[in-house]
Amino acid sequence: MENYVEFKDICKSFVGVKALQNISFRANGGEVCALLGENGAGKSTLLKILSGAQPADSGVYIINGDEMKFNSPVEAIRSGVSIIYQERQLVKELSVTENIFMEDLPSNRLGFVERKKAACETRKIIDLFKLPFSPGTKVKELSVAHQQMVEIMKAYRRNSRIIAFDEPTASLSDNEIGVLFELIEKLRQEGKVILYVSHRLKELFQITDKIVIMKDGCFVSDLKTKDATEPELIRLMVGRKIGDIYNNLDRNDNIGDVVLETKDMTNDYIKNVSFKLHRGEVLGFAGLVGAGRSETMRAIFGEDKLTSGEICVDGKQRHIRSPKDAINAGIGLCPEDRKEQGLVLGRSVQDNISITVLRQLSKAGVIDRKAERKMSENAVAKYQIKTPTVDKVVMELSGGNQQKVILGRWLSADLKILILDEPTKGIDVGAKAEIYKMVCSLAKSGLGIIFISSELPEVLNICDRVIIMKDGGIAGELTRNDVSEEKVLALAMHE
Amino acid sequence: MPWQCTNEHQENKKGVMPRHYDWYSVMENAKQGLRRKNIFKSNTVMMFIVLIVVVVFFTIMNHNYFSYGNMANILLAASTVGLLSIGQTYLIIAGHIDLSCGNVAAMSGVAVALLINGGVPWPVAIIIVVIASSVVGFVNSGLVNIFMLQPFIATLAVSSVCEGAAFLICNGKSQPVNDKVFTSIGTMRIIGIPFPAILMLFLFLVFGFILSRTVFGRSVYMIGGNPTASHLAGLNPKKISTILYIISSMIAALAGAVMTSKMHSGQPGAGSGSEFDAITAAVLGGVAFTGGKGNLLGCFIGLLIIQTFSNGLTVVNVSSFWQVVAKGLLLIAALVFDYVRQKKLMI
Repeated sequence: MENYVEFKDICKSFVGVKALQNISFRANGGEVCALLGENGAGKSTLLKILSGAQPADSGVYIINGDEMKFNSPVEAIRSGVSIIYQERQLVKELSVTENIFMEDLPSNRLGFVERKKAACETRKIIDLFKLPFSPGTKVKELSVAHQQMVEIMKAYRRNSRIIAFDEPTASLSDNEIGVLFELIEKLRQEGKVILYVSHRLKELFQITDKIVIMKDGCFVSDLKTKDATEPELIRLMVGRKIGDIYNNLDRNDNIGDVVLETKDMTNDYIKNVSFKLHRGEVLGFAGLVGAGRSETMRAIFGEDKLTSGEICVDGKQRHIRSPKDAINAGIGLCPEDRKEQGLVLGRSVQDNISITVLRQLSKAGVIDRKAERKMSENAVAKYQIKTPTVDKVVMELSGGNQQKVILGRWLSADLKILILDEPTKGIDVGAKAEIYKMVCSLAKSGLGIIFISSELPEVLNICDRVIIMKDGGIAGELTRNDVSEEKVLALAMHE
Repeated sequence: MPWQCTNEHQENKKGVMPRHYDWYSVMENAKQGLRRKNIFKSNTVMMFIVLIVVVVFFTIMNHNYFSYGNMANILLAASTVGLLSIGQTYLIIAGHIDLSCGNVAAMSGVAVALLINGGVPWPVAIIIVVIASSVVGFVNSGLVNIFMLQPFIATLAVSSVCEGAAFLICNGKSQPVNDKVFTSIGTMRIIGIPFPAILMLFLFLVFGFILSRTVFGRSVYMIGGNPTASHLAGLNPKKISTILYIISSMIAALAGAVMTSKMHSGQPGAGSGSEFDAITAAVLGGVAFTGGKGNLLGCFIGLLIIQTFSNGLTVVNVSSFWQVVAKGLLLIAALVFDYVRQKKLMI
């Protein structure tokens, strides 16, 4: 019997906000169906409804001919639906086997676990997927990519008919993505229904058969991947033409003198990293995951100690031992992980913006509340952060707006250098375009900008110069005129 | 700005208030404001209502309850726990906790008595114990920040050490204080209000101001909400928490001195367990254990609810054992109620 899932008129609202309106489409077994849309388009909500985590207000979904309505994730799992979320649902202290058999470890009549049987089954699945670890390995010892594979094996072991992936490649390197795609292909060939949520258009062309586009909780259209083109998808997703988001950027041509220079920075993670950053320049850092890009930035920002080497700002050597020293030297950082490292999620937009400049906004330690409010409202207006008031809790904003809050934080700080570590990770096309514009305007204002991204097209188009890192060192440097995806990859992966 | 958004109108609808107000948008904003700024969303307001209900209830039961004298007594009874709860509120907001403060108070109370009986003038004795107790704060902070112990475990262990020390330094005997001036402070009243209560109110005001209005106070909230992000934004969570542990211990020492003065003797078993009452007051007042949330006004109201409640039960002749049970039930009720309310707002 062929697998399929069909959504019929699914509606869902949260206090007056319509998250989903009459969503209807069908995904067949043996095909990879992408769900595409900006953040807040309703993809995640739809997956949550399918997984039984949230009930739909109205509408049904039909799986292989049966009308279903799951009231809890357990029911969904029993009916063959597995969702692989961005945040992995694994118990890190337990072994691969225990995670794969999480909800029903094989046990004998007395309720004791049959370890050998479980390990044996796990071994079979691992071999099938050709993965290099053993059933007894603890999940915390695996790489992020392998942890993801464990999730997929879990879904496979459950014999799920429907497997949904929510942004599975967000934290994977290119090689790892290759392995993931092979697995997905395998599942597809076995006739499973695969739902695939991702912001990376390129991937969709690689792996999907069909693309369902959603916007503001509504179904926009579905089309065969082979008939689709990138500009068309963006147009459908955004509902307006962005055109080529890179071409319309108002780039800064006026590059000044050196503002940051590092000389032979070395510590446990990086070796002999030396580079120069000029005023008004956007300097890209490319490389595979683990090549030492973030580690270099951590060293510059005083998070990791240097064993040797020096950092000069404006030609003067600075001893940076903590982020505070870095900020005093005029360096700002938008960290890689917005939620963990960037924002205090439970506090207001205002608190998160003013955090770096609170000293300047206060007299004898007492905060000038009017000045603070004015400053944060300015940042909200300038960076077009969509929030009803600056008192709104940051947690409730969308990903793109959260990122803008972090950028807004550095607006009033007396900054010479701004480090952006994966600033567009997990945010939608519209918000990405706005971030690019911001980067250019900041460069125009004379800031030296370091731009790290795993998305190569972004690095190639935004940056004036690209430094490629590999194994903790600098593998090469390309200027805007002679940079190309092939050259960057060649340097990043060259043995 | 060198760049402008192409669809300004669309942006404005969801975005910040447009420069040119029209009636429609003013109304919309007002409506939204009312919905969002629902006064019942504020835990403090709700708890204040509960406090009033408690006071009104017991006044109906016994008309002497709401008298100046009885209210002053409630404040007096609340003063020791109240002092401890200041440090707790700060620490819990910052994502830490100090279980040692009750026993630091006991230890300091005995130490003050011993010092005074040994001939040290009482103001000097108080200053000595307050300063000496900062060592305990240092130790707590060191265990948490250098050896990375969980604050709960670290301060629990330190608490045990202090409890033992309190008994050791006086051989387990309570130490009556003979200094008349010192003992009169604890029982002194200014316009009918006991001095310990005045001291507590004063410290609540000072520390309330620091927490809500100063850069330091804001830092406490930020490190409690997300220490990693705060560190990357230039704050120093370890330094801030060290200061908080020291403040907590010093206030606890002061509370111990007040206790000794009030009871005319230093008693080694006196403060033990009061740290949990202090935590109860803070949590009842809306200080979240997850950190980053709460304020001292809430904590103060929580403190008053506990005291008015147990005092009320005494006034209507309910056994003191029931008061302890009631305190627990009160906390459970408050937390369950808070959870239900939060959930309603979320959906």
